[in-house]
Amino acid sequence: MDRKLRIGLLYSRSGEYAAMSAACRDGALAAVADINADPGQGITIEVVERDPAGNLDLYGPLCAEMLAEGDLHHVVGCITSSSRKEVIPALEKVGGMLWYACPYEGFEASDRVIYTHACPNQHLLPLLHWTFPRYGKRGFLVGSNYIWGWEMNRVAREVIGSSGGDVTGERYLPLGDTDVGRLIEEIRATEPDFILNNLIGNSSHAFLRALRELRETDPAFAEGLCPVLSCNLTECETPALGAAAEGAVSAGPHFAGSTLWKPVGRRRPVSSYAAAAYVAVTTLARIEAARSGFPEGLRAHGIDPETHHMALPVLIARVEEGQFRVMHSEGAVEADPYLARRERWPGATRPMLKLVP
Amino acid sequence: MSRRLATPELGGATALVLHRPHATVQALSRQLAAIGLRAEPVWPDLGPDALAADFVFFDADQCHDAMFPWSPGEAPMPMIALIGSEAPGRIEWALGQGADAHLLKPIGTGGVYSALLIARQGFETRRAAADEIAALRARLAERQTVVRAVLVLMARGRSEAEAYAQLRAMAMAWQDTIEQAARRICAEPDDKTAPQAARKGHDV
Repeated sequence: MDRKLRIGLLYSRSGEYAAMSAACRDGALAAVADINADPGQGITIEVVERDPAGNLDLYGPLCAEMLAEGDLHHVVGCITSSSRKEVIPALEKVGGMLWYACPYEGFEASDRVIYTHACPNQHLLPLLHWTFPRYGKRGFLVGSNYIWGWEMNRVAREVIGSSGGDVTGERYLPLGDTDVGRLIEEIRATEPDFILNNLIGNSSHAFLRALRELRETDPAFAEGLCPVLSCNLTECETPALGAAAEGAVSAGPHFAGSTLWKPVGRRRPVSSYAAAAYVAVTTLARIEAARSGFPEGLRAHGIDPETHHMALPVLIARVEEGQFRVMHSEGAVEADPYLARRERWPGATRPMLKLVP
Repeated sequence: MSRRLATPELGGATALVLHRPHATVQALSRQLAAIGLRAEPVWPDLGPDALAADFVFFDADQCHDAMFPWSPGEAPMPMIALIGSEAPGRIEWALGQGADAHLLKPIGTGGVYSALLIARQGFETRRAAADEIAALRARLAERQTVVRAVLVLMARGRSEAEAYAQLRAMAMAWQDTIEQAARRICAEPDDKTAPQAARKGHDV
């Protein structure tokens, strides 16, 4: 008889980032359905679910509540870094494990978390190194006023600087702010080669719509010039954006239709969020079914036992007629969450030797 | 003061952990490996090899001065104290040993990266300040030499202001500090100073 495994889902079904939550939740539930439909897996999964409804203060208590059920050790969930940091103490207390399926800004390697989506050496670094020879090294950095925007732009500034490029401007908007007029004016005035967009939610949508208007009126920003780059634009948001998303360039481990990420090849998830959550559930089920344990069983599933991050393909894709078209891809890249290991940076140039007089 | 911290390339750096075999060492080593460093547990003494390490973590509860191959406060790398007992005497000792940062036991999965960055920044600031103080002290000690050199030049019929201006000009021409130039002038017999300077081809 199949072994029963209970897992927790902790995704907000309403609030600012509900679209990403829904994508992750769909991916996780699809994996549960696949495992339960396959008698060969030797395991069946029962899902316990809590909905923090976008309220940061509910993540810790709701995670603890699920873990308190005793036979539940794995929780798949969280979108924002701040919510992830909220649940870690609860996981540490009982030895639970969070499977985190979102791109994030790096600089964390908790032994209570498995990271199945990308960190900067798997999204931002390859995206910038792909962009430099094609568009130039003068970038304008925009972001929402919280850790994702701050840290992504800080890393970008460092990479642009060390590559001999320039940051023509760096601006932040409060979360949810849609007053993007001044941003657009500054971009128009400084004429960068590219824009790195680390705004999220409504701010990002307002920005992309205003930039679309600029493209139609100013030839310096005509189609094909000054692309908008980001590491979290996915199929979760493009339908709502419509024409405003056209031409946007995004990096991630998976886009709809891609088959490069082997563990999701057959299922064909519609976004990298769904794919990463799908991989999280299938991986934890296989490790549990094999009773191979942690951290020994991780390596066989592409997870680095040292960092708990997953080796991921890197895809760079552009939105064309509402679909992501993959422009560049490379095979599995090991994660380097602290940007401490240059050998794991795809496309990075060797360090320059400077002669100090 | 504003400072911009570059992402340090810590990959391959060595961190020694001076602590008896314990879960603390395991947790710390795990976190160091995740960041990309090579952690080496050492107990009970840091050998001479320790001089080549990039960071040293040490147990503030059980370590003492004799375990380190350098005098207190003179570690040639950033040091991070692992503090269990927060007794003032132990904290005082850890500070005297030169701790640039600390971690409270038990060690969890957070804090190690911050400690590395804070310790490195503190160590470099401390070292730069110590170098600057040593250089200033050396210059201060040469005050009398400068006075003597000005007197030597005044003996050739210059006013005090002219003699000091000439000393400065000579130092610039020789690419020396004023103190080094003064020492050179004082070291030479009075009648040889001018020809020596002329021979160098930089006199003014």
